[in-house]
Amino acid sequence: MNRELIGNISFYTIILALQLLVFNQFQLFGFVTPFVYLIIFIHYRISYDKTVLLLLGFIIGFIIDLSMQTYGCHTFSTITICYFRSRIEKSSFGVNANLPLAMIKGTPLLSRVSFFLSLIVIHSIIYYSFIFFNVNLLSTIFLYAFINSIATFILIWIISRLISDR
Amino acid sequence: MQSIINSIVKNRNLIIYLILSFISFSFLYNNSSLHFNEFGKISTYLSATSSKFSSSINSYFNLKSENEKLINENLQLKKMESKHRFTQINEDTLNSIISATVIVNSINKSKNIIIIDKGKLDNINLEMGVMSSEGVVGIVKSVTNNYASIISLLNTDLKLNAILKNSSTIGSVTWDGLNARILKLNDIPLSSSLKVGDTVVTGGMSFYFPKGVPIGRIINYDNNSLEGYYEIDIEAFNDFSSLSNLYILNRTDNNEIQSLLDE
Repeated sequence: MNRELIGNISFYTIILALQLLVFNQFQLFGFVTPFVYLIIFIHYRISYDKTVLLLLGFIIGFIIDLSMQTYGCHTFSTITICYFRSRIEKSSFGVNANLPLAMIKGTPLLSRVSFFLSLIVIHSIIYYSFIFFNVNLLSTIFLYAFINSIATFILIWIISRLISDR
Repeated sequence: MQSIINSIVKNRNLIIYLILSFISFSFLYNNSSLHFNEFGKISTYLSATSSKFSSSINSYFNLKSENEKLINENLQLKKMESKHRFTQINEDTLNSIISATVIVNSINKSKNIIIIDKGKLDNINLEMGVMSSEGVVGIVKSVTNNYASIISLLNTDLKLNAILKNSSTIGSVTWDGLNARILKLNDIPLSSSLKVGDTVVTGGMSFYFPKGVPIGRIINYDNNSLEGYYEIDIEAFNDFSSLSNLYILNRTDNNEIQSLLDE
């Protein structure tokens, strides 16, 4: 258990460091910064406590906010996907949702893509809604969320494959 | 208590989510000027909408008190108006206008009376003149502690001193018991000049009303009478069927005049 915990903490730290030091410097098309740290919530084991997930989401979101000067936008979007994660899982994986690591190994590709995309898209839409915070800019919000989601999805998918292969 | 605790434990994730969301919003609100302004706009809109809603509900429930306020205001205006119009009355008299509400009213008899919600305890006495915002209504006929009855102008027993406003010709107003809007102006000699539309006001030659309180306007007259007087129909300014708030004039100089007459 302790080993697993240390492993998890190391994983979270590495991802967080990657996000802060590498991906935050990314400016795809001049405005897209992939949110690779979302991989933490995608790979969070469902057998763990949901409350811990919420607190983890809050802490990580808060750290990202501090580093990007986004003042709570990441925090709110992160805790929201953490809170709704189990529902998104159920809608993506159906009956397999409760199996540990079901979303990573031995699950249909479509379910996995659906799960990854759902979390990423919901997060991006909430994030950009709060960044622009203007109803008149709905099209811009969706455009940014769309491009950001694709970039984030590709990177998270690649990292997930690397972890999985390892 | 146990069920409350169970409920909190059961919904702890929702509660934690809401608390964390609140912290996020506070962070956003306190540090970002854009969000501060936008939240400010939303807050202003919400508070304005809710205030408008509650104020419309309150104003509905306050209608009664608003009405009372308006009556009092009207009373004050009446007093101020009297100060300018009824120059023959002294200052003390002006302070003695009392407002009252009609509780019983009739117009379909030959001797109609009105009952108001003020009586002896409110300083209402016999033979006080009663008027509305439109003009003369009648005279106080009897008083109990809390109520008073008024002989309405629509009472065939009442004969009120009146003059033509333009010519100051003296006459008297009565009611023939037929039409609730039409009164009769009597005792105007054929030598006087008058025309339809002339205003009839109180003559001031009685204990009841000072000079100049409006009664009605001439709508028809007949100068073919053999008795040497016009037969004049006047339309009362008051609609006696819809009387609501009345003003009772307390002429404090009545006793003084009466004592002179007694001598």
